[in-house]
Amino acid sequence: MILVCGGLLDGVTELVCARLDACGYTWHLLDLARFPTGYRLAWRPTGAGAEGHIAGPDWTVDLADLSGVYVRFLGPEGRLPQPDASPEDGVALRAEADACLNALFEDLRCPVVNRVGGGMSNNSKPYQALLLQRAGLEVPPTLVTNDPAAVRAFHDEHGDVIYKSASGVRSIVRRLGAEQLARLDALRDGPAQFQAFIPGENVRVHTVGERVFAARVASEAVDYRYAHLDGLDVEMTPVALPPAVEAACLRAARDLDLLLAGIDLKVTPDGDWYCFEVNPCPGFIYYERHSGLPISLALAELLRG
Amino acid sequence: MAMTMRPVVAKRTAAKGLVRGIGVVGRHTKRIAASLSSASLGFVVSLSSVVHDRLGGRVVRLTRGVLWGGDVLHLLLGHPHDPCCAGVLERLQARGVPARIVTDPLAPPARFVWRLDASGPIGRLALDGACDEAIDGVLVRAAPWLDPAGWDPADHAYMQAETQAVLLAWLASLPCPVVNRASAAHWYRPRLPLLAWRPLLAQCALPMPDAVVTNAPDAAERFRRRLAADGVPGAVCTPLTSAAAWLVGPADWPRLAPLLDRTPVCLAEPHGAVTTACIVGGEIVWDPVPPAEAPALASGLRRLAEATGLTFVEVSFAPVREGLAVVAVDARPALEHFSAPAADRILDGLADLLTAGEESDAALEALA
Repeated sequence: MILVCGGLLDGVTELVCARLDACGYTWHLLDLARFPTGYRLAWRPTGAGAEGHIAGPDWTVDLADLSGVYVRFLGPEGRLPQPDASPEDGVALRAEADACLNALFEDLRCPVVNRVGGGMSNNSKPYQALLLQRAGLEVPPTLVTNDPAAVRAFHDEHGDVIYKSASGVRSIVRRLGAEQLARLDALRDGPAQFQAFIPGENVRVHTVGERVFAARVASEAVDYRYAHLDGLDVEMTPVALPPAVEAACLRAARDLDLLLAGIDLKVTPDGDWYCFEVNPCPGFIYYERHSGLPISLALAELLRG
Repeated sequence: MAMTMRPVVAKRTAAKGLVRGIGVVGRHTKRIAASLSSASLGFVVSLSSVVHDRLGGRVVRLTRGVLWGGDVLHLLLGHPHDPCCAGVLERLQARGVPARIVTDPLAPPARFVWRLDASGPIGRLALDGACDEAIDGVLVRAAPWLDPAGWDPADHAYMQAETQAVLLAWLASLPCPVVNRASAAHWYRPRLPLLAWRPLLAQCALPMPDAVVTNAPDAAERFRRRLAADGVPGAVCTPLTSAAAWLVGPADWPRLAPLLDRTPVCLAEPHGAVTTACIVGGEIVWDPVPPAEAPALASGLRRLAEATGLTFVEVSFAPVREGLAVVAVDARPALEHFSAPAADRILDGLADLLTAGEESDAALEALA
């Protein structure tokens, strides 16, 4: 039995459910838009994995029967308020419900895509870059500083530089141009992250367990995820990774405790591979639709066990 | 800290594996060092150590890759009113070791530079904005806190997130002793309820109280009956996002059902008087006194510290139906939880951890 925790208004969760149906795998949806309303659960953290059950509107599953769990949490906008709860209480109750599920997922023996701890590195991009480098992936030369002089020296050294947030907040990649260089004194309020611009083609990798799916992304945009904002197109083509890069991607996902990971790479005209970041909760529907890679099928098979 | 050291000592040090890469200053690292430091170029090493500065003829302490000419400094990342920070500061100063409590090391006028490239991470920090610190040890007591005064709330949240993200990377890359060098999971969730620790405690073979997590009244009732059958009249009820707890006595059970309609809770068997263990490096400080089970629990506690990468952890034990069990874990131990003698031992232990490199250096100096 597979448990899907998410909301059907979310395209990725909907795709996972549709793929499980297409595969003929049995699954239940724990609708995070409503949870815990309409659900009852009871589990004992025994030390040998959680023991207990979850009951939905018309189903009950013993935790021992779970072969895999897929979870994709919803933002506040996707959650229905509990009846008669004030907005403040609603926030607190949602936090309690999410904490309950996260604690349960940590204690399950079956594959969980993904446990919350693995995703924490995404809150610090330089920290994650450090981990990626330790996993054997090359990362772009990176500078994090509040020192305008250091930025100018970095810019002089690399010529073409981008900047982006160090945290997961406001994470849009922009080029460092004359306008930004003139405003570097604002850095005194707090550091920012700069990276040497790596020329070449974007390659998006999804690791699903021990399987790897890579797609070359062709776009004129600096950050192809936002290409549509600039009226630019995106094309994706499946590509085979060099064995060393593939092995490093799998190692990075394992190190981060991610059974499903979206890994952003770039291959330079000289054939060097750079890794930019790992997304612990990838919206892979975008890549599957553009590239035709069977990511959701691999995920379904992983969850089936 | 000015010391002299003949080359022979450097060789001995290298032979002991304490220094790697002495005298190997590649084009790449030279360029990095030049771009990061206005000081004269010396050696670039891959571990914090003491090496000979060829150009200046003096010995400076290096921290991963870049030289600093300033005094070494032990950084206590936390609040001045934190008894732990204050106590460690006092001990370090008594040992003649420069140390400073800093709430936000990136706050103006601090100048911070951190680079990551093919040769690894390199960091530099000047708290006064001018003279670089040679960070020789860090005690992490709290994540940095940015004063919201003068900030738009959304911008403040952003800058707070940025500061935390940057410091996590910097701390992770420091080669000097860092007491409680957190993983991202612990950095962003420093105070987890016991429930979140349970899988790890189980892996470390540390016993835990019987518990159930539920929003089902019938499951709560079954748990109540199980406890009652053993002569336990109530349970400890805790929310899932904090370490708060309250006792559910015989008269309270009917009032639990409306709460369960709203949210799952964790119900655990009540426990007796608490004995606290503080892991400080390799030492375990028990307070008030080590229980009879202490020797059997020691390896589990050390495994817990190793598994989390934390060198300073507070673990509370208390008797439950089947013996002593863990009833609380805190990755940011509170000195206030300990008696004065235990607190003294903890502070001494922390000072020892932070100055571990100093002792090595003193030994090297003696050799020289």
